[in-house]
Amino acid sequence: MKLVIGGYAQGKLQMVLRSIKNPNPVVFDGQLPGGEKRQETEKHQDVIINHFHLWVKERLLQNGNPEKEMLSYLAENKNCIIISDEIGNGIIPMDAFEREYRERTGRILVQLAEQADEVVRVICGIGQKIK
Amino acid sequence: MTLIFGGSGSGKSGYAERYISEISRDSIKYYLATMQVLDGEGQKKVEKHRIQRSGKGFFTIEQPVQIEEAIEKMKRLEQIEQMEQTEHGHGAVKRAVLLECISNLAANEMFFKDTVKDGKEVAEKIISGIQKLQKSVKQLVIVSNNVFEDGISYDETTMEYIRTMGRINERLAQMAELVIEVVVGIPVIIKEKRS
Repeated sequence: MKLVIGGYAQGKLQMVLRSIKNPNPVVFDGQLPGGEKRQETEKHQDVIINHFHLWVKERLLQNGNPEKEMLSYLAENKNCIIISDEIGNGIIPMDAFEREYRERTGRILVQLAEQADEVVRVICGIGQKIK
Repeated sequence: MTLIFGGSGSGKSGYAERYISEISRDSIKYYLATMQVLDGEGQKKVEKHRIQRSGKGFFTIEQPVQIEEAIEKMKRLEQIEQMEQTEHGHGAVKRAVLLECISNLAANEMFFKDTVKDGKEVAEKIISGIQKLQKSVKQLVIVSNNVFEDGISYDETTMEYIRTMGRINERLAQMAELVIEVVVGIPVIIKEKRS
């Protein structure tokens, strides 16, 4: 698994698309491939999960367990590229849910980075390999 | 002095604790906690940090304002614990201090007792306190926060707080031999002064 992180509007997806050879990668937007979609993706080599942080937010809103769900997805799908915004670089929000979302997304990304074969941080469309 | 910088949930605390434990094996380790516990969520956070530190041998000193007062507290604690050592030069105790974190310290100093203090004065006060602290310890590791990149225009008081954090971070980075940004738990070196 490869993890790509960076601020909002830094050209993360474009950088990933440039870096892979496959002209037809599967891009999931704000969701993990599940059910039939998951089987469908097994045929393809390059699965990209874009806006991963929005998936975390959605799972929290649905009272899900994003930490557990993410780990079980990764146990079966080791060859994906996960793209997420870095959302913790600001003032602590007044709203309790926003605080929890920020904190838990950060922790999940730390966990993902530990498991990842490669971690790339994108600034101005340029990727820096930090792991 | 080392400055460790990162956003919320970046893993900077955990990294800072591992880092200071590695560089200060022969020192007495102190954790200067700046967070004021006001509610259950704060309590939970303090507990989480306490669990993270458990087994790592830190003495915890609560110091939400007036950071230099921690020096006297350390001395008193050492007298009680009778840790005065004479073999390490001038009878001084080797102290390794982890100060966490600047964003709480700055907020506590700036918004003390329902008044808002001038940002420049707050920055000066904190820097001068840290300079005193630096002189009385062998290793100083400071954790600070990236509060700068959410792109939101807040009210003037919050903007002044952000500017104050910027000023303090700039000064601390000048003073530090090593500045490390922690990104998703991974240390990225921003400044390294080779001696």
